[in-house]
Amino acid sequence: MLLKVVKTITLLMLTSSVINAAEFNTQAEKDRLALIKYFEAKFEDPEKNRNTFFPYSTDEELKNGFITGLKHQDFAKGNYAFNKDGRAQYDEIKEMPPYEDAIEEGEALYSKKFKNGKSFASCFPDTSIGGLYPIFDESRKQVVTIGQSINECLTSNGEKKWKMSKGNMAKLQAYFAYETMEAEKKVDIKIESSDAAAAYQRGKEYYYTQRGYLKVSCASCHVQGAGQRVRNEKMSQLLGQTTHFPVYRLKWAGLGTLERRMGGCIKDEGQVPPKSTSDDMKELLYFMSYMSNDMPVDGPDIRK
Amino acid sequence: MIKLTGKKFAKLTLATMTVFSLSSLMASEVSSMDVRKVCDVNKNGIQSVLNMASKYNKIAKKEGLEFMRLGMKTSQYISGTQKSIKNGLATVDILNKKKKKTGTVTTQYAAWRACSFAITALQQAKDAKTTWRLATPGDGYVY
Repeated sequence: MLLKVVKTITLLMLTSSVINAAEFNTQAEKDRLALIKYFEAKFEDPEKNRNTFFPYSTDEELKNGFITGLKHQDFAKGNYAFNKDGRAQYDEIKEMPPYEDAIEEGEALYSKKFKNGKSFASCFPDTSIGGLYPIFDESRKQVVTIGQSINECLTSNGEKKWKMSKGNMAKLQAYFAYETMEAEKKVDIKIESSDAAAAYQRGKEYYYTQRGYLKVSCASCHVQGAGQRVRNEKMSQLLGQTTHFPVYRLKWAGLGTLERRMGGCIKDEGQVPPKSTSDDMKELLYFMSYMSNDMPVDGPDIRK
Repeated sequence: MIKLTGKKFAKLTLATMTVFSLSSLMASEVSSMDVRKVCDVNKNGIQSVLNMASKYNKIAKKEGLEFMRLGMKTSQYISGTQKSIKNGLATVDILNKKKKKTGTVTTQYAAWRACSFAITALQQAKDAKTTWRLATPGDGYVY
């Protein structure tokens, strides 16, 4: 009898927590689905949709520059989902990608012993975790990025922190991303409490807020502006923007993390970027990553 | 552990209230400012414009809103201009991240830029509290 009562209560508690978890991401799911709908409509046929989405593009680029009829999962490739010329160059570079050594170096860093004899395996027994971060840490009431987790692993084992933007940090993240891609896992960001939902909401507001002396938001370029051209480059779309990090950028001549890229974007808007470990930055990445939920992890990758 | 006596607690509360009320007071005062007038160097004098820049950039910095252009933060425009005035120079060096000179602007222009950046950052943030939703698919953005 007692066992039955305990079982029933446990079941009720589990059901209740599942229902609650589903409720906390209601708004985020609504946002994600609206975003998918928007981008599918935008890139269905840019030439046909010129007045709505591409008023400043030339006839020639609308006719010949776009891959059309894109669906949700296609956007995991970033700008190369729709950019015909860019995609051809991308496919060529991918035949011998410049980040391969970085993955191997990342693997070596993962296995290297700390001074105390342990290694990253003690903190990250599963290496296919690229799609799970950022997480919301309920005990600390804050978003935790993969970079922060790596540095916390280092310091808790008596080692020095790494720089968040490049170097060893990017290499280890490249290894995690590669392992995740090999395991065919998808981005799976969770929002399971009201605090997590609030952090998501702040990240969303940051993304859509006009800032800097140029008075543009991230969305000006990567939602409304996605697919439009700045000089000779077509801008990428928010949907699928985080699936492929860290990336090897030709501009950097090296590998960099998502924090490095976002810091650069915010500078381009004309504002001093928030620090990589600040709540502003972490919540921004939390929102962006949630928007890529259910898309395959495809990193590391190459970008211009 | 710090012991909070009644007096200390009152002082702490008062200090917190002062900081918050000052911030909100300044936020409301900037919204009605005409940047072109208050940052006009010819009309107000360079030192007054720089004081204005320092006052408002302090808040912008605290709120994570500080502007930057050509690799220089607003605070660097302020300090650069002050340094040039002190040394009797008519120009301010534009320095990149590695402190390498990439150009020059007049002290007057640098003061104007610092002042307009500091105030605009705050005005823009206030407006954005309501406008950001207009860019959000599924919310205020209609296509």
